[in-house]
Amino acid sequence: MIDFHTHPVLVRELVEKYPRFGRAAREVFYIGNNFQPLETFFLQMDAAGIERAVLLPVDCRRARKDPVATNEQVAELSRMSPRFIGFASVDPLTKTAPKNLALAVKNLNLRGLKLDPALQDFDSGGKAAFAVYEAAEHLKIPVLLHTGMSWAPGSAIAPGHPMRLEPAIRRFAGLNFVLAHFAWPWVWEAVALAMKYPNVYLDTSCLYYDSPKEFFDFVFTRQIPLTIIERTLRNQVVFGSNYPRVEIKNMVHALKSLPLTEGCKNKILRENAERLLEKTDE
Amino acid sequence: MMIKLERVKLQTRKSEEAVNITPAVEEIVRKSGVRNGLVNVMTQHTSSGLLVTEGIPCLEEDILTHFARLFPEDENYHHRRYLDYDGRLGFNADAHLKSVIGGISCSFPIEDGKVVRGSRQTIYFMEYDGPLERTYMVQIIGE
Repeated sequence: MIDFHTHPVLVRELVEKYPRFGRAAREVFYIGNNFQPLETFFLQMDAAGIERAVLLPVDCRRARKDPVATNEQVAELSRMSPRFIGFASVDPLTKTAPKNLALAVKNLNLRGLKLDPALQDFDSGGKAAFAVYEAAEHLKIPVLLHTGMSWAPGSAIAPGHPMRLEPAIRRFAGLNFVLAHFAWPWVWEAVALAMKYPNVYLDTSCLYYDSPKEFFDFVFTRQIPLTIIERTLRNQVVFGSNYPRVEIKNMVHALKSLPLTEGCKNKILRENAERLLEKTDE
Repeated sequence: MMIKLERVKLQTRKSEEAVNITPAVEEIVRKSGVRNGLVNVMTQHTSSGLLVTEGIPCLEEDILTHFARLFPEDENYHHRRYLDYDGRLGFNADAHLKSVIGGISCSFPIEDGKVVRGSRQTIYFMEYDGPLERTYMVQIIGE
């Protein structure tokens, strides 16, 4: 199984090595849990039955003074274990962003792009972002965007609206867009985009209240009918936990508790992620 | 009189497990040089515990199984909400309640440099929400 949405913000080895890393975890990403040795990350994956995890940085230096992990730090972790799949992040409002992305992919072997319009303070439908999407399409990597509500302090909710992405989704048909958090609360909008455009994927890392099981039950059986996932979007949903905002095992249990067929769950938990990443294996 | 405090890190490896820490506590007491006094052991976390029982696997399993029966994961807990001071959701009320009911500390006398405990008494660190790196404290008071 693959977890397509994790953040290495609590890794103690990085906190001890990089003086600003801890500040970004506490004040930018905003999480209060104890820092943990890297071993805990792997044990959390083991407890959930997850074999590989996508590590997501956020280049929010301009907007928040510090990045939430750098590309180099993610690459460093990815070199330590084949269980990690490192993504890159660049600031779309920096002119060198497309070039920086290409360097991160070619020199650091990072395999996707992560953007967070709320935390990075940019318009995901703006011209600057288009240059980065174009670079990602050329590099044959997927782009995972934060969509929906953001918990990060100081960030607005509106930049995460998924419909802002429609012009880019239409323009870059060869680029796979992964809309994180099922764009909650705009779940119908995200679903509509995925139904209309085959280059749109949705990740399951949504949890804003109640428990993971309760939230999944509400979103995937009452906010939208589960049959949309089973029958229509079975090839466009990937499992994501958003660890360490939530433990991976709880999100896996929540997904498995849904009355989806085993075939559909396998697609969400593994096959769709593998397909998204296969071009980067070439 | 001497008072010594030691913080011990422990990497738990499962969601829930009972880890026998008796040898580690006895070694800390031995190294402390205290001949007569008291040792107190306490977890630093509210979703783990410290308890004393007979050190056999069947009891370890029974404790975890019946704590789970008392506090099911899927019960209707008020704790299941966004914790604004923590930047994440709280949905581990079952772990907190197990910690409350099972206790978080234990004490034993020290006599002639050794922990005085019954032959069946075993000190367990109880993980209710792992795997995590945890810390427990061993404080020795004596002379």
